[in-house]
Parts: sequence; C-alpha cells; structure tokens
Amino acid sequence: MGWLDYVWMGVLAVFQGPELINLMGLPIPVTLAMIAAGFLLGIAVGATPGLAGPMAMAIALPILISVFGFSPDALLPVFGFLIGIMKGATIGGAVPAILFNTPGTPDAYMTTLDGYPMTQAGQARKALRVAHFSSASGDTFSDIVLILCAPFLAVLVERYLDLPEKTALLILSLAFIAAVIGGSVGKGLISLGLGLLAAYVGTGEDFYPRLSMGTQTLAQGFPIAAVVLGVLIIGEVFKSLEDLWSEARNRRSPRPPITQSGDQRLRWTDIRRLLPFVARSAVIGTAIGALPGIGSTLAATLGYTTGNTRHARSGARPRFGEGAPEGIAATEAANSSVSGANLIPVLSLGIPGNAAAVFLILAADTIGGFNPGPSVFRFTGDVVNPELVIAFGLFTCMMIANLLNWTIGGAFMRSMGFMSRIPKQILLPVVLLLTLTSIYVQETRMAAIWFAIGFGVLGYLMRRLGMSPLPFVIAFILGAKLEETARQAFAATGGDPFFLVSSPIAALFMVLTVGVILRSTRKSKDLPT
Amino acid sequence: MKSILKAAIAAIGLTAMTTGAMAADWTPPGPIKLMIAFRAGGGADTQARLIAEDLEAKLGWKFIPEQVTGKGGMNLAMAIKDQPNDGSVIGMVVTETLGYNMMVANAGVTPDDFTAITTTAGFQMGIVSTAEKGWTSFADMIADAKKSPLRFGVMSPKLADIAYLLGEAQGVDFNIVSVKGGKAVMNGVTAGDMDLGFMAGIQGKGVAAGDLVNLASALSVPLKQTPEAPTLADLGVEFSADGYFLFIGPGGMPTEARDALAAAIGEAISTDGMKSNGMITKAFGGPALIAGDDAQALVSGDYAAAGALLEAASQ
Amino acid sequence: MRAGKANLALGLGAALLALIVALIWVPMDTSTGMIEKMRRQTNVGDALAPTLAAAFILIGGVLVAMLERPETARRLSAGNLSFLLQLLGILALSLAVMRWLGPAVAELLTDTGYRPLRDTAPWKHLGFLAGGTALVAGLIALAERRLSWRGLLIGAAAALALIAIYDLPFDSLLLPPNGDV
Repeated sequence: MGWLDYVWMGVLAVFQGPELINLMGLPIPVTLAMIAAGFLLGIAVGATPGLAGPMAMAIALPILISVFGFSPDALLPVFGFLIGIMKGATIGGAVPAILFNTPGTPDAYMTTLDGYPMTQAGQARKALRVAHFSSASGDTFSDIVLILCAPFLAVLVERYLDLPEKTALLILSLAFIAAVIGGSVGKGLISLGLGLLAAYVGTGEDFYPRLSMGTQTLAQGFPIAAVVLGVLIIGEVFKSLEDLWSEARNRRSPRPPITQSGDQRLRWTDIRRLLPFVARSAVIGTAIGALPGIGSTLAATLGYTTGNTRHARSGARPRFGEGAPEGIAATEAANSSVSGANLIPVLSLGIPGNAAAVFLILAADTIGGFNPGPSVFRFTGDVVNPELVIAFGLFTCMMIANLLNWTIGGAFMRSMGFMSRIPKQILLPVVLLLTLTSIYVQETRMAAIWFAIGFGVLGYLMRRLGMSPLPFVIAFILGAKLEETARQAFAATGGDPFFLVSSPIAALFMVLTVGVILRSTRKSKDLPT
Repeated sequence: MKSILKAAIAAIGLTAMTTGAMAADWTPPGPIKLMIAFRAGGGADTQARLIAEDLEAKLGWKFIPEQVTGKGGMNLAMAIKDQPNDGSVIGMVVTETLGYNMMVANAGVTPDDFTAITTTAGFQMGIVSTAEKGWTSFADMIADAKKSPLRFGVMSPKLADIAYLLGEAQGVDFNIVSVKGGKAVMNGVTAGDMDLGFMAGIQGKGVAAGDLVNLASALSVPLKQTPEAPTLADLGVEFSADGYFLFIGPGGMPTEARDALAAAIGEAISTDGMKSNGMITKAFGGPALIAGDDAQALVSGDYAAAGALLEAASQ
Repeated sequence: MRAGKANLALGLGAALLALIVALIWVPMDTSTGMIEKMRRQTNVGDALAPTLAAAFILIGGVLVAMLERPETARRLSAGNLSFLLQLLGILALSLAVMRWLGPAVAELLTDTGYRPLRDTAPWKHLGFLAGGTALVAGLIALAERRLSWRGLLIGAAAALALIAIYDLPFDSLLLPPNGDV
C-alpha cells in the first residue's frame, strides 16, 4: 500500500460513501452534503454576534452522532460537517464587523478597523468581497501546508520518539500553551493545573476512583462534554449575559442606515494590489496556527500590524484604519489561515491547539475508531490502515469546503447581514438551554447538567479574572493521555525515575519547557488573548 | 376435596403461566438502558450495539445504549447495582469484571449483587508480537528476553499478574506496560512502543495477513487461529486468561426477565444473517453462550478463584 | 495599588488551593501513593498526577502573586457576585422544575408513578417544556431587567423546538429528566 493508494482511498471514502439522495441519476454522497450544510450554517453562525463556531459544533455533535451512529462510517460525515462550520464561521465573522462595527467572532475585531469605515464611505459590498477573497485565500493556503506537513511530521514522531520522549513532548506542549495564551504565564499555569486536576478526578489505575470523595457521582469522573462545553460555552454565555445585564439601563438607539454607492466589484487591479498583503498574512497565520494554543486573534493582530507597517511605508491612501481594503485583507487572510494549520499538532501529535480542534477530537473520541495522533499515519503493508484512509478523507473534506468557499461562499456571506439583528438577550438564553440539553442527551443524567453549570461558573470567573479558559480545556483533554504515557514510559524503562531526562531528545524537550516558562515570565509584552 | 382440586388447578395454571412467560411473553417495561463498559468504536462496543440493533429489528424492543467505561467494568457494575431490576437496565462487561476485578476492587460488592444474564463470546486471547521482530515461536522471544528485558503490553490487572507469572516461569523479566484496552496494546505493539502484548481477538486480521504473530495462547486451550502455539499451561503457568463477554443486570432480576433477555440475545447472535452473528463470528470465532444460573456459577467461581492468582503473583 | 492587590489575592488563593489539594485531598482520597511497588515492579501510583497538577497551580499562583505585571490584574466586583447569585438562582429553580414536575404530577394522577411513563408523550415532555421555558424566560428577564410575556413565549418556543430536534426524530435520545427517573 503506497501513500498514493491511501490518498485515493481517502478521496473515494468521501465520494463513494453512502449516498443521501439521488438527484436525477446523480448520487449525492452524504459526506458532501454534510460539508455544504456545515459550511452554510457556519457562515450564519459566524455572522451572528454572540454565537461562534465552537458553539455550533458543540450543539451539532450529539445530533450528528444520533444520526450517523457509532460506526467508522460516521466519522467522515461528522468531520465534514464540523469542518464546514469551522470554515464558514471564519468568513462569517467578518460580516457584522464590516456592516455594523461589531465583530461576529473575536478574531474579526481588527476587521472592523477598516471594514466599518468602508461601509460608512458607501463601499460595504466591496469590503465584504475583499474579506471573502482574503479569507478564502488564507484558508486554502493553510490547508495545503497542513496536508503537506502533517503526515511527514507524524511519521518522524513515530519513528524517533519513544514513550519517554512522547511524555516530555506532551509536557512541553502544555507548558507552551499555558505560557503563550493570554499574556500571563502565571494565570496560564493555574488554568492548566486546574484542567489537569479535573481530568484526574475519578480516573486512575487503581480500582478505587481517586478524588471521588467516596461518591458514585464523581466515580466516573467529569463527563468530557460537561467540562468542555461548560468552560468554553456556558462560561461565555454567563459573561455575555452579565454584560447585557449591566448595559440594560442605557440601551443604544439603532444606527441610521447608510446608503451604498460606487463600484462594488472586486477588480483584477484590486486583487493585484491586495495579494502581497494576503500572502504575508497567510504565512504569518499558518506559522502561528501550527503552534498549539496561540490562536487566530494573535494571528489577526500580527497580520494587521505587519500589513500596516508595509502600507504606511508605501504612503498609499487611504491609510489603515481609514477604510483601506489592504487592512481587511491583512486581517482576514491571517485569521483564516490559522484554522488549517491548527490541525497540524492535532494530527501529528494528538494535541489540540484551539477550540475547533478540541471539538474534532471530541467527535473522534465519541464515535471511536479514529484516534487523532501520530499513529494515524502508519503506512501499512497488506492490511489497510482505516485511520489513514479517514485522515486523507478529512483532507478531502477540507479541500471540498475550500471549493465551496470559493464558489458559493461569497454570495451567501453577503446575504447574511440580517443575522446580526437577532438580539443577544434572546439568543444567549436559548443557546444555554440548547447546550444543557445537548449535554444531557449525551450523558443522560442530571448530574452532568449540574457539572456543566459548575464548570460554566468556573469559565465565567476565569474570564472575569483575565485567565484564559483554553489551557484548562486542553489540559483536561490531554490530562489522561499525559498520565498514561508517563506511566507506560516509567514501566517500559523498568522503573527509571529519571526517564524524562535520560534520553537526549526527552532531555531537550524538558530544557525547552523550563525555557518557555522562564522566558514568558521575563517578557513584559502584553499579548492579546 | 374441592379445595384440593382448586389448589391443583391453580398450581397447574401457575406452572403453565410461568413457562409461557419465560421466553415469549415477557416484554421489557419501556425502553432498555444498555450500559457498555467498553470504549466507543472498539470490538466489544460494536458487538453490544449490534446485538441491540438486532433485537430492535427482530423483537421491536427499544434500547438506549450508553457508555459507562473505566476500572475494568467496575464503574459499570457500581452504576448498575442500584438501578431497577425489572430488565429495563442491562450492561455488558467481561467475566473478569465480576471475578478478579470485583475481588481486587474490594468495593463492598460480590457477584451475588448482580444478575448474570448470558455470555456472548469468548476471548481468543493470544500473546502477540509483530512479524518484524523475527520471532516465529514463543521460544525465540524468550531467547531475546534473556538478553535484555522486553516490554509486555497488558490491558487489565489480571493480565499484568499473568504476564508477571509467565516471566517468572520462563526465568525472564518483562517490563509490564498497562494500557487502556486491547486496541491500545495493538497500537503500542505495532508502533514499537511495546515488544509484545495480550490481544483478545483483535489480532485476527493482522495474524492472517502475516503482520502479527500469535506466539502463545493465553487460554487453557489452544487458539482457533494458531492451534500450534503453546498454551499458558504448556509454559508453566497454572492460570489462564479465559474469559467471556457477559450481559449483567442488577441483583435479584426476576427469572422470566433474565431468561427472556438471555434467550433473545442468544438467538440473535447464533442466527446466520444477523449483524451481531456476523461480527462475533469474524472477531471472536463464533458465539459462546453460557446463560442464567450457569453464568452466575461461572462468575462466582471466577470470583472465588481470583484469590489464588493474586497470592501467586504477590509472592 | 488596587490592581497589584488583586493579583496578590488571586495568586495566594491559588497557592492555598494547591496546598490543600496536594497535602490534604490527594493523600486522603487516593488509594495508591506517588510510586507503588507491585509484583516486584515499581509503578506510578494514583497520587502522582494530581499532585503534579497541584504543583502547576502552586507555581502559577506564586508567579501571579510575585512577578505578574499589574496591568494584567482583574478583580471581581460586588456586582459580579450579585449577578452570579441571581443567575444561579434562576437556573436552580428552572432545573428543579425540569427534574421533578413530571414525577410529581404522575405521583398525583396515576398509580404507577412516572417511570413507566418516561417514554410516553406528553409525560416525557412535561418537565422539559416547563423547566426549559422557565430557564429561557428567566434569563431573558434577567438580561432585560423586566419580566415579559415575550420572554415566556420565546422560552416555550425554544423548548418546543428542542423537543422537535432531539426527541421526535431520534428514538434513542432521552430529554431531561428521563434518564434519571
């Protein structure tokens, strides 16, 4: 079985999977339909301030699993839908940023800086076209890098890293995530430690479920859906509800409509002018996305700042911040190119780097039959490695989503302006009920709902205290894996207590870990979350 | 006279009623919650879900499958213990859960607190390595193990004890690596993180293709796929990893509910053309049914025997 | 200075929590120590990983208390806490309705109780519909600082929509509270 066979089987797995309907003799594979549905839903969700891609992924997951079941056949349609949401939300976020000066997703904040001035100048549709073109370019570039890099990285990891090195690499990744998210390494470490602690309740090797305080409720540990959705989504809902509660006294009056005029098309000359900005930002975004935990907001900031420096030097008008299409291009290309590259650590190391990747892992974990990590890329002899077929199927899904993005994405995105009129005080309570219900149908016990609300309060407190919840979630997901790998490394080395430093590669990872933390404590630069 | 006659008629009526109710008449009171002690997507989980599908299709019963994993099935046992015992909650574990694991866990329960319904299939537990290692027999592996300690992957404490005793009997030291589930042992062995390990049937495809080798049978009988491989008894270990997948319910389940469930499951997995039958035949070499009181006796025996293995391995 | 104090309080709080976890909770609530000797082989015990987690919290807490720049400091206000209390009150009430309304009504009106009815409409929807409506309406009222008929209608519509999404098409999904009864 050569690698080309696997690529081909992956493509076939998408196109020859079970068919949804037969349209005049043309079978429509269900995976294809799911990618398209997820993509359109993602644009709508991204265009709605207060909703975000991860929320839609979280709520869709139990429904998807009920539809497709727990067989390996379910993996590609479910992944396709989730990837569609991920990509759709990325471009959708620019819509309210440009039209109403309210970013639909946090990483679209920089888009408001030039997008809204263009709207005020009567160039809204052109601004949306610039955002779509840059976003789709960045996204496609990032996916190509992912497809080229992840398999090779994974093969290297499997060939050269033994159990002790894998343990050290997990520790390094966690420390890195804690250090770079949120600009405060201390708070990052607290968040990380709490996440690990939550992962260790009820688990363990011995028959007594540790840290369960003798109760049956804690003996099975915290359900993963309750923790992840609690901290990431319910916490965010609580915080936004409070913002509305505090604002309730002084509501703003609606803005007067702005008349649109002039040439709204994106001309070839425009594209030539924007391309350097798109290219630079795509490289920045991809590089940042490949490191776990940094995320698209920093990429957007860096892309915008770099673009701004170049633009200012050239002296062209309008300047960044005054309605320059280049500003939108620099931001959107950077934040969109994070999403593909973010799957590099997921597929080659099994380490999720952002919320979207967390949900892909959650889906794989619930359905079973696919364990994201280096073992996926095992090119076997005679027996087909089904996980590898799924991996290439996943890549195919991403490229199909890109194709949709280039063809129908722009027009659909431009029609989504009305989504931002849905009032948040109605949207958020409904999202909360939806989330709690989706947790219950997965866990079928009220205790799971109470856990979710408890972790929601934790997520709320973390946000109010300026502590990023992402290290918590990633540590919770990796906690069990870290402990298992460490146990196995310890046992496999015959009980060597210094297994983390006794091989050169492991020792190097540990030195880097200490280095990352020390460096971040010294650095006084405040990174945006 | 009249009253005796009346009693006799009543008695006959009663017997007739119970026999009639045994298999055909019992229907579950509402949907059946099916707890599964295995990770989603693995062979055991697939087996449980396929059985549920078959019964839904055949009898119109309704199942709500739910994963309750961890602690070698003990999490499921503790969760199912206090559920209603009217047949509306059942769970799938392995016999080891009610035997060795329940003994070691010391959680205040014994097999008598549960109702054994029926086994479905036995393990084809082999001691397996990759063909790349170059070992064609168990003796080849032992010769290498004498040079430097090998890594032995196991997926339960009982197997860890057996691996230890095997090393002792053969005069070698294994570094015993515990992982979660048979799939993890196979992944570890194929990736080279471990040199050999226990696999309970999952190795079948790889052995057939020549990528994996069954070095020995971990059962009291030879493996169906590799009958020439020695058994544990041949290798000087008096214990075995014999075991079955087992449906259980909370203790004191009414006999007619238990027997109706056992009969329905047994029929589904032994009927050609049923999904579960196909899967069990492929992965576990065919169904192995021990139902009702026999199943209860089996786990009680395992529970009582666990002490001997523990004691031997602790020396 | 207030900002600096906020960091000091957070850091020391985290450090204290870490010490309680590592020195009291973990030793008392795990059955094997950090390192265990089993069958003449040493293994990692169940206490090691949680202790390590506590160590991360401790290091983080110390860093926040000693080294953190004041501009990253955030503190909770009395307003935050008052909001949180109202929020949790609404959630507790509506979830209690969701959990107990069906069983309570079934207890009153039927001989069998709720359990045999947990898969029968309209019984199985009763608690979810009432509790879900209360939850959404309550939170809308909280955000708008006034109770409105509109909120109740939206709540009921949301709960009905969820019943339509999860319950009608899927036989094997259970809405709250039907997995608990």
